[in-house]
Amino acid sequence: MPMRRILGGLLDRGVAPLLLIPSVVLLVFILVGPFFYMVWTSFTDLSFALPDRTGSFLGLDNYRRLMRDDPIFWGSFRLTLKFVIAVVSIEFVLGFALALLLFHFIEHRRLVLTALMVPMMLAPVAVGLIWKLLLQGDFGMVSYYLREVGLLDLRSALLSNAGAVMPTVVAIDVWQWTPFVTLVMLAGLMSLPREPTEAAIMDGASALQRFRDVTLPLLRPIIALVLLLRGIDAFKEFDKVFILTGGGPGTATELLSIYTYRVNFKSWDLGYGSTCAFMVYLVVLILCAVFYKAVYWSEGRPTGARAGAP
Amino acid sequence: MTNQRIRRARPGRSFALGVALMSGLATTAMAGAWTLEDAAKPYKGVTIRTIGEALPPLEAMAKMKHKFEERTGIEVVIEMYEHSEAVNKVMLDLNSRRGRYDFILQPHRELGRFVKSGHLESLEKYLQDAKLRDPSFKPEEQLYQGLWKEISWYEGKIYGFPFTALTMYMWYRKDLMDDPTERAGFKAKYGYDLKPATTWEEYRDIAEWFTRPEQGFYGTALQGKRHEALWYEWINFLYSFGGDMMEAKSGSECGPIIVNSPAAIESLEYYKSLMKFSPPDTLNYFWDDVMALMQQDKTFELIMWNDATYAVAEDKEASKVAGRMGFDLVPQGRGGKVGQVEGWTYLIPKYSKQKEAAYLFVQWMMGFDQQLEQHLNGGATSRPDVYAHPDVQKISYSKASMDTNAVAIPKPTIPESPEITDILVRELSSYLSGAKSAKAALDTAALDMNKLLGSCAPLKYPVQ
Amino acid sequence: MSRAWTAFAVAVILAGVLIALTPYVWILMTSFKTRLDALADTPVWLFTPTFEHYPDVFLEKNYLPLVWNSVLVATLSTALSLALGVPAAYVFARHEFPAKEDLFFFFLTTRMAPPISVVVPMFLLFTTFRITDTPLAVILAHSTFNLSLVVWMMRGFFAEIPREIDEAAMMDGHSRAGMFVRILVPLAAPGLAATAVLCFILSWNEFLYAFVLVAFEGRTLTVGIPGLITPHGTLWGQVAAVAVVATLPIILFSLLVQRHLVRGLTFGAVKG
Repeated sequence: MPMRRILGGLLDRGVAPLLLIPSVVLLVFILVGPFFYMVWTSFTDLSFALPDRTGSFLGLDNYRRLMRDDPIFWGSFRLTLKFVIAVVSIEFVLGFALALLLFHFIEHRRLVLTALMVPMMLAPVAVGLIWKLLLQGDFGMVSYYLREVGLLDLRSALLSNAGAVMPTVVAIDVWQWTPFVTLVMLAGLMSLPREPTEAAIMDGASALQRFRDVTLPLLRPIIALVLLLRGIDAFKEFDKVFILTGGGPGTATELLSIYTYRVNFKSWDLGYGSTCAFMVYLVVLILCAVFYKAVYWSEGRPTGARAGAP
Repeated sequence: MTNQRIRRARPGRSFALGVALMSGLATTAMAGAWTLEDAAKPYKGVTIRTIGEALPPLEAMAKMKHKFEERTGIEVVIEMYEHSEAVNKVMLDLNSRRGRYDFILQPHRELGRFVKSGHLESLEKYLQDAKLRDPSFKPEEQLYQGLWKEISWYEGKIYGFPFTALTMYMWYRKDLMDDPTERAGFKAKYGYDLKPATTWEEYRDIAEWFTRPEQGFYGTALQGKRHEALWYEWINFLYSFGGDMMEAKSGSECGPIIVNSPAAIESLEYYKSLMKFSPPDTLNYFWDDVMALMQQDKTFELIMWNDATYAVAEDKEASKVAGRMGFDLVPQGRGGKVGQVEGWTYLIPKYSKQKEAAYLFVQWMMGFDQQLEQHLNGGATSRPDVYAHPDVQKISYSKASMDTNAVAIPKPTIPESPEITDILVRELSSYLSGAKSAKAALDTAALDMNKLLGSCAPLKYPVQ
Repeated sequence: MSRAWTAFAVAVILAGVLIALTPYVWILMTSFKTRLDALADTPVWLFTPTFEHYPDVFLEKNYLPLVWNSVLVATLSTALSLALGVPAAYVFARHEFPAKEDLFFFFLTTRMAPPISVVVPMFLLFTTFRITDTPLAVILAHSTFNLSLVVWMMRGFFAEIPREIDEAAMMDGHSRAGMFVRILVPLAAPGLAATAVLCFILSWNEFLYAFVLVAFEGRTLTVGIPGLITPHGTLWGQVAAVAVVATLPIILFSLLVQRHLVRGLTFGAVKG
């Protein structure tokens, strides 16, 4: 086994970090290369559609256009922020509440957890299609019952109504990802040490006080983690919404990722499209760094080792 | 408004002439001369690959290709994708110059992009090559000339042949139109006889009359989703009201922007007024959805595509209303009788590795027998002699198709045209959703088009 | 009081489970409904099942190879990510070296790059190397997110194995490599399995890279789904049949690793 010999050689001679090289090389090749190509392109006029735009250097023109001259981008940006704030907060409140109920009142949780896992395991493309079927205006099952109970009138449909479409998309994301919050928060609750709570009971604290003064502070790192992971993913949301609405009606659901897709894959304006994509990346990167700082760096090692300690 | 129309090439104008010329020409070549087998000999054993939209015409081609394969020993591989996926795959292939596809099938508004970027092979040299050219193939006589020049030519050069000659016309439920109770009720309410609409006022009255939400039946159904389908549909209204996007002689030219003219605004406002007679989910529909509605007996009239007609009017397995449909030109406004030119076209990329074999296949597909078979299986031929065939004449929508082809107006094929479409789709959808007024939406579209096209396309109507 | 609370909790949780499952059950049912039942104005819950959609789409429309393509891509991309990622994770767990945490962070950022921004350059790059349209292209592309998942998840699992075990193994005469392969990897096996399953799922569900980079013949099931929205009207029975086949294995798989799922989804930060 030559693999083994190489492995052994590296480990025994104390140059173990060399084992990282294959992974790093692969990522540099397939991701960092394309990434820098994208960054370079964002300073050029490259277009696949227009013949006279072959990628001449423009300096900061694309960035100037983005900052000053593209109300649609900023409209999408604001919409995306609203979307992220809405889904993350609703999912967090619902998911945490569900986790608390499960933690305090249910003994045998396995089956419940299994059922809850289903939505988040589905491919986003499949989720988009499933909900498209359920929300069809004329024969959709959900539309039908919403009409039966009077929440939806006969002359409107959720995905066709500029006022209702965004809340609908939010609701679908909540459907898919609330279970994630539940699972993680439940894991967090289960890993909490018992002593502080018991001490609080001895002191005569009410259930509410115990929750506020003991449980919440202990869960803080996990809460931060859940909010950030959901925030990052929600910011990148694409497949589901694209299948459901294509960004419409009008620009009512045109999230940043959909706008970027349009510039890149409809207009084939790769120069400006790269500028938009780079902005999206920067925002995600910042969220990501905050996540890393909040959860990992302060500890020097994964919080899980601590939060999960028996 | 009329002046600018007259300057334009009208595809189909030479239709009558074409039929006259063609009536005796559909026979095969003289004996002893060119044969497909001989021409294909050097390419025996090669494989050619193409890509197109998964539509009945392409499915028909997939079923027919074995005949070509058996005669020539050239294998033909067909990739079928959804509309925008087929376009995206081709854009990536051409721009990476890798030559995966030996010929491609693309909507004609992509033509300018491809030609101006040097991605396409001009077909003149194949047409002049005695080894390849089938002497009985005479596109300059056998095709609708206006249509062919609009969807397969660019700046005077031949780049392809029409794969489908598409257009849109009015679909309506003939059985309900002829129903005595409906006729009596309609006359009592509107004071004139119920008949296929020829004006937009009639079209709206009829839509209103048949709108019965409590029965799940609607007068019409708009393709209001944020999707190309919305733009295609509105164009019928735009042309009919006497408007247009730009003033230009042909699709390959740029010209003053008139998309925000009073006529255009009026057409858009009228278009939205039909939403009342459309199912609640109408802003989430594109062509698939409205076609399914018609198939399921849920709507009365539509402005819809000729290549989708077969599955509704003839296909008894798929459609509840097969045999009960009627077809006619779109209603007339100030623009008179109009239709739109649209089509997918056979093109050969410069990077193709088997250009000659690809040419032979395309030439074979354009032959009368193949065109007839494809047309009868849901295709939309560009050969007038196929329309003249008795089997085709029997099809319920042939007349509407031919009448529309005769008055169809071209639309932009310049490199920026797909972007113009995207801008308009966005603005039309914003207006339908209630986010802005018709004027504001079209003004924004005009400004964005002007920004995109520059000095060749000044604004003709002021924007506030 | 407590009883009322328990009843309330049970009711809420049951409602939650119902909401979570109903859409999926509906798709499952739709895959066995006739066109008429599927498009009925009033939802149909009881119906005579038809089994036509599965053979129609998988045999007649030839979607069966897509299942195989999905399996191939997901398996090989998982294998590649594990082969490269597990030793890397071990190094992060046991060794100190300069800029270690920065490099660790680098792995995370690769997971965060929006695919829309890199997929076109990646296509051009892969075309230069003539691997576009081969399964290798997607397998490599999927390792952009799977490799970081492996490194992050497995670092945690290795870190949990007490260092004394390493030392005891070395005393027993194992080389470092032998110790890693014979002792540590088996000890981390449950975590390894969970990681592998998650990689498999992420790759199986991915759409954009698979669509752009793969040939028509190599389409994965996820890429094939939009192809069923045809201009003949969307064939909901067939769409549902494909959706079921595309999701059922994933659901069954995720049951297998339920215990470690939370850790996987949080990059190893929270133990399940």
